[in-house]
Amino acid sequence: MGLPAVLGVNFHLTPGYTVIGIVLGGVYALAAVGLVLIYRVSGVLNFAHGAVAMFATFTAYEVSTVKGAPGWIGAIVAIAVGAALGFAIEYFTIRPLHGRPALVKVVVTIGWLLVLQTAAGLIWGATAYHQPVRLVSRDGFRLVGTDVTVGYDQLTTVIVALIFALAVAALLRYTTLGNAMRAVADNPDTARLWGISVNRVTAASWMVGSAMAAVAGVLITPLIAFDTFSLTVVVIYAFTAALIGRLSSLPMTVVGGFLLGLAQTYPRMFSSLSGTADAVTFALVLLTLGVLFRPGGRKVRVV
Amino acid sequence: MSARARRVGLLVVAVIAIAWPAILSDYSRSLATDGLISGLIVLSLVLLTGFVGQISFCQYSFAAVGAFTVGSLVAAHHWSFWLAMPLGVFGAAVVGALVGIPALRLSGLFLTILTVAVALFFDRFILASGTWDAFSGGLSSFVVGRPSFLGVHLDTSYRFYLFVLGTFSLCSLGVWNFRRGKTGRVLRAIRDAEVAASTLGINLTAWKLAAFATSAALAGLAGALLAVSIGSVSTGGYDLVHSLGVAAVATVMGVNSVASAAAGGLFLVFGPEILRHLGVSSQWFNLITGALLIVQLIVTPDGMVTDFQHKLGHLLRHRAARKAPVPATELDVRDDVPVRTGVRS
Repeated sequence: MGLPAVLGVNFHLTPGYTVIGIVLGGVYALAAVGLVLIYRVSGVLNFAHGAVAMFATFTAYEVSTVKGAPGWIGAIVAIAVGAALGFAIEYFTIRPLHGRPALVKVVVTIGWLLVLQTAAGLIWGATAYHQPVRLVSRDGFRLVGTDVTVGYDQLTTVIVALIFALAVAALLRYTTLGNAMRAVADNPDTARLWGISVNRVTAASWMVGSAMAAVAGVLITPLIAFDTFSLTVVVIYAFTAALIGRLSSLPMTVVGGFLLGLAQTYPRMFSSLSGTADAVTFALVLLTLGVLFRPGGRKVRVV
Repeated sequence: MSARARRVGLLVVAVIAIAWPAILSDYSRSLATDGLISGLIVLSLVLLTGFVGQISFCQYSFAAVGAFTVGSLVAAHHWSFWLAMPLGVFGAAVVGALVGIPALRLSGLFLTILTVAVALFFDRFILASGTWDAFSGGLSSFVVGRPSFLGVHLDTSYRFYLFVLGTFSLCSLGVWNFRRGKTGRVLRAIRDAEVAASTLGINLTAWKLAAFATSAALAGLAGALLAVSIGSVSTGGYDLVHSLGVAAVATVMGVNSVASAAAGGLFLVFGPEILRHLGVSSQWFNLITGALLIVQLIVTPDGMVTDFQHKLGHLLRHRAARKAPVPATELDVRDDVPVRTGVRS
């Protein structure tokens, strides 16, 4: 008997798990890019990111799955709700805290997490099973030369995630708003001297970031058992990916997202424990915090 | 507040705390007991956040360490509660120190991510059904009986309430003493100016780790008491949302004041109960807590209990001043008034 058989590892499953990991990773990358955008521009670690994604996703669920509208209409509604929530959080609760310690603003987002999570539980049922929001059919195609089937929904998820990540990169690089965002991220005071409305740019970053969270939420529904809590904790996965990108580099954040997606998926080949994904996440958080954020390491803007 | 007003106030509170539950129903008494146990967890946050300026969103994970140690040793291995409890508290302190190690090199912001990750790790891995079965040997929950204390069996709800009240008071007194003595000055120095504190020869590493370990030990003690109070230990009730909720309540009440521990604990237990009486689902409680947290951070940064103490103190001082003017020097040396800081980064 070979070693894999002894361990109970089914290596012939590897390609299939790779596909799942990449798809999950795409979603994490998307959510994490939104998180980093908000953090860089406003200096706030947004713990409500997952809750915003969750709430927006459930409105899409309401529109598409319950009321029967096409999936893409649900997705557009989710984007609008996500952006609106992002704006509301920034405008009504972060802006009045100008000049207060960064930690206070973080605690405010925890308050939003509790509010959104509970509200969604009251509206849609906290532990009930929910049908996913489907953007495309469940069919799939066989990957050339293998026996791995890739679902069209999985393919759509990765493509949409990459398109949105690239769109944000383009926004930051080629548009006036993007330039303003980068200026505010580097130094709000200097940006103000250049005539940039820091408030408006910050609000815009919250709206764009939260809309990305909403898209990530909608895309992840066919992949996980989706309820109010499982989507809310996606914020921790997004944070993990963002930490791998040192909360500053968007390309590294995307890499971090895919890394996390694969790292969460592979152990499932030899562990049936339900929390394995979270154990791996925890290990990655420890590792990145220990290695990338060590004293004397490269300077990280801590606000 | 003047020392005399404080003493009279404490005496009144003590009499009410001892006498009132005697005439309550068994059910209300057990709620009051659970309120004080939750108060211990709020107290652990007062110590950590209010005194040292570190934040933690995983206090219920520490409580779980205490609860499960007591549960498994008492139920499965027939240990005495009095041997199992210290071990549970010690275990929680060790886990707390382990979480504190990364905290030494991280700013407060990144610590929040770490503690949420710890809570999630406990919630979804250690306490998840698969892992839990491997640990408990398939028992769905541990059944824990009430212990005896100095020959008195704590079987009635009033006796157990008094025991918990005594424990809570001792811990509060301990934390309050920390704050007034040399320890308090050291911790405040670390919170307000880390670099300055270290140039004074304060060993930051040791103090921060000690603060984390003590805070986790308090939460672990609460977990051990919770195991006995409920009578069984199972995986529910130590999750991330509970940890976030208790952190929210501690912040709403004010992490600078020992008094907010009692207020916060009772609020955590009686809040959902009152909602249920009003015919509203107790699920609303977390929504209300979250909303309160947001409003409070914008309106009264120090927290409600601290704010109330301030106002009461002002009121009493003004009345005292009208009766007999106090020499100015005496007003200058009050060190019992919390520094108006709110949550510190």
